[in-house]
Order: sequence, then C-alpha cells, then structure tokens
Amino acid sequence: MLCAGVNAMTYRTCSTPCYLLVALVALSAAACKPKAAPAGDRTEILIGGTLPLTGGEARIGGFFKEGYDLALEEVTKAGGLEVGGKKLPVKLMLLDDTTNQATAVSLADKLINSDKVDFFLGTYSTALVEAQTTVAEQNKVPYVNGGGAASQIYKRGFKYIFGTLAPVDLLGTTLMTWIDEQQKAGAVPKPAKIALLWENTSHGKDFRKGVSEFASKSAGAYEIAVDESFELNGKDFSALLGKVKAAGTDLFLVDAHLPDYITMHRQYLDAALCHKIMSYGARGSEKAAIDALGRDNVDYVLSGVWWNAQLAATNPIAKKFVEAFKAKYAGRSPEWFQALGYETVRALFVAIQQAGSLDREAVRAKLAALKIDSLLPGGTLDFPADKGGQVQAPFVVQQNLPAADAPIIFPKAVANATGVAPNPHCK
Amino acid sequence: MRPLDLISFARLGDLAVSAVLLAGLYATMAYGLGLIYGVLRVVNLAHGGVIMAGAYIGWAMFDRLGIDPYLSIPVVMVVSFALGVAMYQGLVRRLPRGAAGGPASLLLLFGVWLVLRNIAYLVFTGNDRTIRTAYSSRSLAILGSHVSLTRLVVLGLGLAIAIGLHLLLRRTLIGRAIRAVAQNADSCTLVGIDVERIYTLTFGIGTALAGVAGVLLATIFSFSPASGSSELLRSFVVVVLGGLGSVFGVVIAALIVATAEVFAVLILPSYLTSAVGFLLLVLVLVLRPGGLFGQRVLA
Repeated sequence: MLCAGVNAMTYRTCSTPCYLLVALVALSAAACKPKAAPAGDRTEILIGGTLPLTGGEARIGGFFKEGYDLALEEVTKAGGLEVGGKKLPVKLMLLDDTTNQATAVSLADKLINSDKVDFFLGTYSTALVEAQTTVAEQNKVPYVNGGGAASQIYKRGFKYIFGTLAPVDLLGTTLMTWIDEQQKAGAVPKPAKIALLWENTSHGKDFRKGVSEFASKSAGAYEIAVDESFELNGKDFSALLGKVKAAGTDLFLVDAHLPDYITMHRQYLDAALCHKIMSYGARGSEKAAIDALGRDNVDYVLSGVWWNAQLAATNPIAKKFVEAFKAKYAGRSPEWFQALGYETVRALFVAIQQAGSLDREAVRAKLAALKIDSLLPGGTLDFPADKGGQVQAPFVVQQNLPAADAPIIFPKAVANATGVAPNPHCK
Repeated sequence: MRPLDLISFARLGDLAVSAVLLAGLYATMAYGLGLIYGVLRVVNLAHGGVIMAGAYIGWAMFDRLGIDPYLSIPVVMVVSFALGVAMYQGLVRRLPRGAAGGPASLLLLFGVWLVLRNIAYLVFTGNDRTIRTAYSSRSLAILGSHVSLTRLVVLGLGLAIAIGLHLLLRRTLIGRAIRAVAQNADSCTLVGIDVERIYTLTFGIGTALAGVAGVLLATIFSFSPASGSSELLRSFVVVVLGGLGSVFGVVIAALIVATAEVFAVLILPSYLTSAVGFLLLVLVLVLRPGGLFGQRVLA
C-alpha cells in the first residue's frame, strides 16, 4: 500500500511532518523495489546473465555457455521448473560482457533494473565477478556464479552472492597434501625447499596462502626458500628463474595463467632447471601448452582443477552430465568450465524449486541452506555462510604422465592412476 | 633492501646474458615506432596491433602451410608494409601535422589498433597461440649459462635490423631523403623531394618492422588478439629513452632498460621489476627530455 503512495505524491510546500512522511514513503519505496512478481501471476521464469563471449576470455565464456545451454535444455525438455504447484518455462537472457568489467556491470544493471530478471547467473573471471556482484547485492538479486574463485569476492559480507568455484587456496592445500604423502613415502626430501611463485592477482595470492599455511603448519617439513610474485603476461622470467636456481629448491610451485605457464616453462627448460615436483597450479595439461612446449617437456607436471571428466567413473551425477554433454556436443568431452557452468545453473534451479516461489528472498534463503548431491569432487554442493557463500569442494590433482595423458592421482577416492615423484627427468 | 646472499659470479653472468637477450627483444619491438616518430612526428599507437598481426601472419603460415617462422619474415614484411602504406594513405595523411595533429593521430591510430584486435578475435578467436618448431626447446651452453636458441636468433636478427636500418638511412638515396624530410620537410619540397611519398614509405617501413617484431615474438611467447599493449609500452620507453629518431640510441636504450629490469630482481620483488623501465622513462623525461642520446635524427 505504502509503495503505491509514491506515485500519488505531488509537489507542494512541505512542513516538517510532511518531510518525515516523504522520507518514510521514499524508504518504503526503496525497500519495495526489487520484489519479483508472485509465481501465480507469472508465465515464465526470467533469468539474467552475462558471459565473456567476445574479448580475451571468449573461449572460456563459450565453454560456460555450453554448460548453461545443456542445463536449460534439460529443464525445457522436462516442461520447465515446478514452482508453486505449476510448471513454468525458464527464459535465460544471456548477454555478452565482452570481457570488460564496466560492460559486465552495466549489463547487470540493465538486466536487473530494466529487464526485471528474477535471478542472475554470474560471469566468468574473478575481476568481472567481483565488480558485477555489487550490482546484484545492491538490488538484492540472488547471484549464482561459477566463474569467480578468489575468496575476496566472498569476504565482503554480501548475502545474495553464491559461488560454485572453490577458492584457490584449497588448490594450494590439495597439492601440498599430495606432496606431503610423497614426502612421508620418502620420495621427497625432508625438509623440502619450495620455490613458490605466484601471479600478482587475488588468484595468485590465494594460492600462496594455501601453500604457505600448509608449510607453516608442517613443523619444519617444508621451507619456502623463494616466495615471489610476478606480473601477469610477463615477457621475461629468466631473472626470477635464476633466483630459483640459486636457491637450490626441491619443489617448484607456481600459480599462473596459461600464457605465463607457457612462457615461464619455456624459460625454465632453457635454463635447464628440473625439480622433484613441479606444478603451475590449475595449469598443466592444456592442449595449447602441450602444443607450445612439447609433450615430453610437460611430463610429470602436476595440476589441480575444480573438476575433471574422469570423475564420471566414480560420480553418478558427473557420469550423467558427461554423457548428456557428449550427446549434445558431437562426442566432445567437457572440461571443468562447462561442468561448473552446468552445476551453477542446476544449483539455482534446485533452489527455485525448493523455494516454490519466485520471491528473491525465499530463493536466496534456499540457496543459503542448499545441500545437494553434485558432480563436483566430494559429491556435495553447498554454500557455507562462514565462507561467504563460496563452495568449499576439494580439487582433483592430475599429473601429465607419458602414457596416459593427465589422469587423476589425488584424492585417492577418485584417482585412476598413481602419481609419480620424484620427477624421473631430473638427473 | 633485500639480502643479497644469493649473488655469485655465475648468477651475475646469468643475469647479464638475460639482459642482453631481453635487450635484443626490446630493440626489435621498438625500431618501427622510433622510425615513424622520428620522421613523421606521429606516435603510432597501432604499433602494438601490428606486432600482434605480424605474430598471427607468421603463425598462420607455420600452422597452415608449414613454413618456418623465420622464412615467413619476407612475406610478413611485405604484408605489413602494405598495411602501413594503406594506413598512411587512407588515414594518417588526412590528419593535420604537428602539435594540432597529435591528439587526433593518437585517437585514430588507437582506433586502428582496436579494429585490428577485433578482426583477430573474429578470425582467430581468443585462444592463445604459439609457434613451436623442432628447435624451439633447444638451448646452448654459453659461459656456463643456458641460452635459448630462439632468443639468440631474435638477438641476432635484432642487431641485423639495426645495421640494415642504419645502412638504409646513411648509404642510400631514399635513406638520405628520409633523413632530410625528418629534419625539414618544407625545405625538401623546395629541392624536389616528394615528401608525401617519403612519409608513405617511412610509415610502411616502420609498420613492416613492427610486423617482423611480431613474428619474432611469436617464436618465443604465446600470443592472442589481446597481445600488443605491453610491447607498445616497452617500445615507447625504449624509443623515448634512446632519443626519438635514433637507431643506435634505440639499441643502447633497449640494453639499458633490459639491464635495469633484469638486475632489479636482486633488490626488488619480481612483479616490480617491470616498473623500473617506467621509472627510467620518468627520470629521462625530467632530466634529459631529448633522450639519453640527444636530439640526433635517424643516425
């Protein structure tokens, strides 16, 4: 009732009580603004989203879209989502944010305030997600994303933001857990000296946090001898690698994006370096890297990823997803990008059905309390409140092995090969 | 100040070798920008885009036709030269000269760069590409340091380009005409030099050099349509530091910038070392605005 009063106000000379009334009405109007229509009046569910379909992240944005399309197709085939006792079709308004922060923000604002979407699917890459989430939070629109991994996105006290991508510090922790097993088995010296190099981004900082916290709790089993960050898209790492060489380290742990992985590893090989264990964080088994560096030169590189199609062997939801994906995309095997895109949409759909309503607050509450079986490693998806709504699923560790591409070697429950340490290439 | 406990003669030798190799790379990237500015007084902001385009032409010839990237250099030079001529004749020629034309040419050439970048996205997608030949992973042991073969080739070609450019400008009629136009275009018109033709030729040569830099970079680094901005910035630092329009000034400036950046790792965190070049740029602009090698033009 009070909301309707805003339009009825007319301008005239106002006394103090009148100003108070205006303020009260204005506050009420602001509170009323983001409410979505009740399900009973609706003929469809409107979901907004952006992805980087052009620009620097276009390839990955396209992968996420494939995951979205598959999840949407499944729901459409089922006649829509059941909300409040009736099935409603889902309409996805997906726009191209061109891998640009400002565009991602303005498109989110347009979708929420002009197109009046009910819910929002977030974009890809930490920088874009971090900027875009403020729009969703200000407008109180549930925002689910599979593209922002940095924990700082979820440390701002936001209530409407949910992330299906586990934080990168867990990647560092998971790698160190496997390395620790090798050390206990005598494959790695004790104490082991670590060269820890990380890109100067929130992604790199999280990785560093995971590795250094593990090392500091190891009671002297690990010593971080080199701890350096580097500029993104660097051209020359030879001086940095010279520092690594001079420090005589056993483990070479790096967090890098693909171009830096390729450039740094080429210079690593040029410098005739060899470590008992080496990893470039989430990078390692990409075809582009193998093409650029040569298969032999990337053997035994470890990588930790959020998901791997090989999980289909042990996880029934992952198996169903892989089969459906291959059927839709001409037998092509999905990567983690498509899987996370699919799972992000699925999480939102499940929450909408559980809420039985299109009320944003009800769906937000269901997302906050969500706990479902998942294709993610660990088999469960939830958004813990103490982690700001970011999933804490474990990573899977892969290793490039000469005869078997990049099988999963850790955790043991999902492993399909045994990891090799120390690196047999080192003399 | 960080502890210098890891320094040894071997380490210093490694760093010196790294600095020389990096200098070869920086010089190769900067020649085209320096030549165009030296003669036309136009800062070619499309330079980064042409470097990226050169990388893609080299990659396409290697990937689709199996042509070695070094053998593709003549083709890349011709294509880039034609692109430069088209850019000059179609766009740059129509701008006002001198200070009045400065902002307009900056905006125009920045626009050209954006067009080149988006064409690359459309044609090649945003995937990272690399050129990997049979010798890409080879390295040579020199004075106890392992040196990448491809980086040695880039250094060698970088020096060869400097010598070739120097000879072109000093020993040929066209070179003398270019130098004369750079010094005083109006006087050149009086003595019968076709100034517009010289400008066109210079813009073409400068663009061709950027294209060659692109192929050489592609043999060392991965690249994508977004590549080119860091190359442009480094080129700019080197050209300004060396003195705009000086060929060997560019070589010496490249060596100074590379040495400063490489040796800075001894006292600075690695991610700050690339800022050392920019610090040098600021110092030179404040203390010696004409560059370290004065205002000499093209020689």
